[in-house]
Amino acid sequence: MDNKKTNTIQRIIIIILILIIIAGATVSVIMILGSGKNEENKPSKGVVGVITDSWDPDVSSTADSNGEQQKGIQIPGYSRAEMNEGDTSLKLSVGNPKENSVGFIATVRLGDGTVLYTSPVLKPGQGLEEIPLEKTLPKGTYDAEVYFQCVMLDEEHTPLNSAESGFQLIVN
Amino acid sequence: MKSKKIITLALAAAMVSVSALSVSAASLTNSQADGKTEVQAHISGSTTGNVTYKITIPDKVTFEPLSRPETSGTDSYKTAEYAVSLDEVSNLGADEQISVYVKDQNASVNDDQNFYIANVSNSNIKFKYQVFDVPKAQVREAVSINANPMTKAAGYYLAGFTAVDDRVDGTLVINEAQLWNNNYTLSDIVGDYSGYMVFYSAVEKK
Repeated sequence: MDNKKTNTIQRIIIIILILIIIAGATVSVIMILGSGKNEENKPSKGVVGVITDSWDPDVSSTADSNGEQQKGIQIPGYSRAEMNEGDTSLKLSVGNPKENSVGFIATVRLGDGTVLYTSPVLKPGQGLEEIPLEKTLPKGTYDAEVYFQCVMLDEEHTPLNSAESGFQLIVN
Repeated sequence: MKSKKIITLALAAAMVSVSALSVSAASLTNSQADGKTEVQAHISGSTTGNVTYKITIPDKVTFEPLSRPETSGTDSYKTAEYAVSLDEVSNLGADEQISVYVKDQNASVNDDQNFYIANVSNSNIKFKYQVFDVPKAQVREAVSINANPMTKAAGYYLAGFTAVDDRVDGTLVINEAQLWNNNYTLSDIVGDYSGYMVFYSAVEKK
C-alpha cells in the first residue's frame, strides 16, 4: 500500500517537474526571440508628432539658474541622433525653450537640403520628443540639422534672425 | 529515502528553470555579445536625440537711423552691437567645442557671401555691412570675420565655446558712404531696412 502511494507521488512530482521545465524553456525562448526582433526592427510608433506644452529638456546641472532675464533667442543644439533603416520617425527633442519670447518653425533636414520634418509654429515651451519623417533613409551616417526659423508671435509671424543646429544622424 | 531524492531532484530542476529565465531577462536590455553593452546603451540613451547644449543668439540687430554723408566718397560708419553665448552644455568631450558660424540668410559659398540689409519696400536696394567678433571699442584694430571668403556652407566662423557663459560680444558696422549710390535717388533709398543673420552651431573637434 505504501509503495503504491509512493509511486503515485513520484509520478505527480515528475509530471510537475516536466511542466515547470517546459514552461521555463518556452518563456525563455519567447523572450530571447522577442528581444532579437526588437533590436532588428524597432517599431516607429509612440508619441510620434505629438507637440506638448511642457517641452523643457534638462541639458545640464550647470545651467544658469539665477533668474536673470535672457536676452536674445535660446537655441537648442544636438550632438547626434540615431534611428533604424526604414523607421518613419526619429527620436529627436525639438522644441522652443520656455525662456524665449518668440516662435519657432523647426525644420529637420539633411545637409543636402532634403527635408525630413517641418513643424508648425512652436510657442515657448512647446516641442516634441519624436518627429515623424517625411521619408525613410537607407543605412549610413548623415550630416543633418534642425533649422530654427525664428518669428515674432504676432499675426504675421514677422521673421527674426534664425539658427541651424547641426548634428550627426546615424541610420543603423 | 526515495521521496527525499525526488524532492532534491525537483528543487534542482526548478532552480535550473529559474536561472534560464534570468538570462533571457538580461538579454532583453542587452545584445548578448558581451557585458559592456548595457553601459554603452545607457550612454547612448543619454545623448542621442537629446538637447546637449543651448546657445543664445540675437533676435535682431538694429542700426541707428542711417543718413547719407554730405559728400560722396566720405566714409561714415554706424554700428550695432550683438552677443552670442553658450548657456547650457553637457557631455562635451575635452577635445570638443560648440562651434558657431554666421552668415547672411541669402549667402552661399558659390554665390554672394555678403551681409546685407535691404529696403523693406524694394529688396533690390540693399547695403552691405561687416561683422566683427569684438566689441565696438575694439573694431578699429580688428578685422571683420567676413574679410576673407566664406568657405563653409555653415557661414563664417564666429566662435568656439567650451564652457557655460562663454560668449562673443560683437559689432556690426555699416558704411553710410554706400548711400551715395548712383543708381538711386535719395527718395528711392529712404525707408525701413532689414536683414537676417543665420547662426549655425555644431559640436566639433577643437
